[in-house]
Amino acid sequence: MYGGDEVSAIVVDLGSHTCKAGYAGEDAPKAVFPSVIGSIDQMEVDEPDNPDKNSGSVPDSKSKAKRKLYVGSQALGFRRDHVEVLSPIKDGIVADWEIVESIWDHAFKECLLIDPKEHPMLLAEPCANSQQQREKSAEIMFEKYQVPALFLAKNAVLTAFASGRATSLVVDSGISGGSTTVAPVHDGYVLQKAVATSPIGGEFLTDCLMKSLESKGLTIKPRYAFRRKEMRPGEFQTVDLDFPNTTESYKLYCQRVIASDIKECVCRAPDTPYDDSSYSNIPMTSYELPDGQTIEIGADRFKTPDILFNPSLAQTIPGMENFAETAPSVCGLPQMVLESINKCDVDIRRELFSSILLAGGTASMQQLKERLEKDLLEESPQAARVKVLASGNATERRFSVWIGGSILASLGSFQQMWFSKSEFEEHGASYVQRKCP
Amino acid sequence: MEAVVVDAGSKLLKAGFAIPDQAPSMIIPTQMKRMPIDASLDDPSLVEDITVDPIVRGFVKDWDAMEDLLHHVLYTGLGWEMGNEGQILFTDPLCTPKAVREQLVQLMFETFNISGFYASEQAVLSLYAVGRISGCTVDIGHGKIDIAPVIEGAVQHIASRRFELGGLDLTKLLVQELAKSNPQVKLSLSDAEKIKEQYACCAEDDVNYEKIQVSCPVEQHTLPDGQVIMIGKERYTIGEALFQPSVMGLEAHGIVEQLVRSISTVSSENHRQLLENTVLCGGTASMTGFEDRFQKEASLCSSAIRPSLVKPPEYMPENLITYSAWVGGAILAKVVFPQNQHITKADYDENGPAVVHRKCF
Repeated sequence: MYGGDEVSAIVVDLGSHTCKAGYAGEDAPKAVFPSVIGSIDQMEVDEPDNPDKNSGSVPDSKSKAKRKLYVGSQALGFRRDHVEVLSPIKDGIVADWEIVESIWDHAFKECLLIDPKEHPMLLAEPCANSQQQREKSAEIMFEKYQVPALFLAKNAVLTAFASGRATSLVVDSGISGGSTTVAPVHDGYVLQKAVATSPIGGEFLTDCLMKSLESKGLTIKPRYAFRRKEMRPGEFQTVDLDFPNTTESYKLYCQRVIASDIKECVCRAPDTPYDDSSYSNIPMTSYELPDGQTIEIGADRFKTPDILFNPSLAQTIPGMENFAETAPSVCGLPQMVLESINKCDVDIRRELFSSILLAGGTASMQQLKERLEKDLLEESPQAARVKVLASGNATERRFSVWIGGSILASLGSFQQMWFSKSEFEEHGASYVQRKCP
Repeated sequence: MEAVVVDAGSKLLKAGFAIPDQAPSMIIPTQMKRMPIDASLDDPSLVEDITVDPIVRGFVKDWDAMEDLLHHVLYTGLGWEMGNEGQILFTDPLCTPKAVREQLVQLMFETFNISGFYASEQAVLSLYAVGRISGCTVDIGHGKIDIAPVIEGAVQHIASRRFELGGLDLTKLLVQELAKSNPQVKLSLSDAEKIKEQYACCAEDDVNYEKIQVSCPVEQHTLPDGQVIMIGKERYTIGEALFQPSVMGLEAHGIVEQLVRSISTVSSENHRQLLENTVLCGGTASMTGFEDRFQKEASLCSSAIRPSLVKPPEYMPENLITYSAWVGGAILAKVVFPQNQHITKADYDENGPAVVHRKCF
């Protein structure tokens, strides 16, 4: 048991695109930075003293080359030669714990400026997290960071809390996360067997938009690749800069940042399913790229979000044809919702239908809520009353998991549920399964 | 009695009664010298003295020294009487940890027994000083640089950035550069500070900087201990380091680029408002030629909307740029204290230090 009312708990949500961290009780995370890191492989193994960003410096490394890691938006924003952009999370589970540790280090020491020893931690984890992953997180937290208490909560549960409900169906579509997850939550517990995931998430939509723009001949230039020079007083010209040693992954990362900004500003979910003929006369919206180029986007505004509802549309975009082979059985968002609800007990289905929550960055696209409601009304059983909820504020939708964690960690009745350090020492890491359902 | 506004920076502490149109009545260095027997302030240099810096990179690190410093400021400098303490407003830099704020509140109420307290972020205050509530503050201080977009009085923490780079690092760079060109002269940090303040300037743009690297008029300067030092292109190197940190060996973008990137994180409807109301503040920003260079770089920067600087109002004192956070604090103090929005002694006694997070933002 751990009772801490003076010291604030810290809530950390490590998503597949951004990591959000901050104090519990606040209404927005203080630290938001990309959860990818840049790493430079250093092939020379005979380096006696390592720079402080270097983690995992084992003298007799088996086959791991030592790496210099760059974490955080400032460090990543600066272009360096040979930097590879790596993500710790593959397919929703953590593949590289070293990277996760360096991300946590950055959040605690550089963004929040706290000492983890003094603050209980609430970590948000994906619904499909395995027992092994949870034990590993608990181990790292207690042994490396020496936190006094820990709790692992599922993303879907936290989103439900953020909207003040204990039972709802959470549709979580990350801003550039690998996937969309549909998870029913009942009385604060996720019904594991009814969770449905699909690889179509914000990142996929961003890629589709990029390919679609490229096929029209518009290239997105990453921020580092150009500079304005003053040719004559008052007259400017954009000059391209070439850095041959930049890796493909870094270039792609920079382009994705710009493309996702385009997507956020310009894309809207169409009211009816998309088809080429009816949308060919849509008036174009213009968007100004960072280098000053203005691009006109017309039908893509509606086509890209419709992929969420109708995944086979992705095949029509040149460059994405191979999508069909990788995921043949992917279904659209309304189908996923129905599938998930149908796997639950008959009694709770009605309640789930009437409280469907939208969360995540992609879910804050305009008109998405209305479109989903409309599609579900068509497909659902007659007696059910379908209601899709989404908080009005775009920031709240992006950070709803974090906000839920902030609410949970500051509740008085939660204080007895922490998994404390003494319990860890007594029972070991596997106790986490009992303490954090 | 008026409320007192204290803006404690890494190099200078600005304090005074809250009279907004004037400069703070006390501007003293934060650095103190510890005497062997008991601690006192600003003594002439003794043979063995240890300098104490209570504030490092914007945050209070040495609380005992801070207490002594505040004691001097409040009782000796501003004329408070024991037993009749008034109200005080403090300024915080960006990203102040919660624990530091709580400790400050505790120090003020328990040791100094003040009657009212308020704390606010420096970024917001600098904007108040120029008469705005939304905009972007670029605070280039001695120990740190803060870039903070503020919308309607609320700092957008997600987009704000803090760099552990400031006047102090520029001074160290100057020492390094001068040592290269004047190898026989021994230069202490405090002398270098004075030289920096007197001579440092910014080149007009990077093309000019290249030219200066090649040839530059050299001036002679006599140090207090009699040594003569030649200063040439080093003066421009200092200014350049802010726009091209690669001069200092750091892998980072220049100030204008960082500003644009930080604002691009905020939602786009606010971009115009933020960029067109950019405020520069901080001692280092008062370098000769800095503002012009900033404007030039801003017009070259790769973005649709260009940053443009805000002109301070005419009724504000000269040199507003070095203490605009203090002036903003004075303005805020006039609003907060009369309306009883501050933390009173009763609030503190009832709730403890954590009340600062609820009442002051």
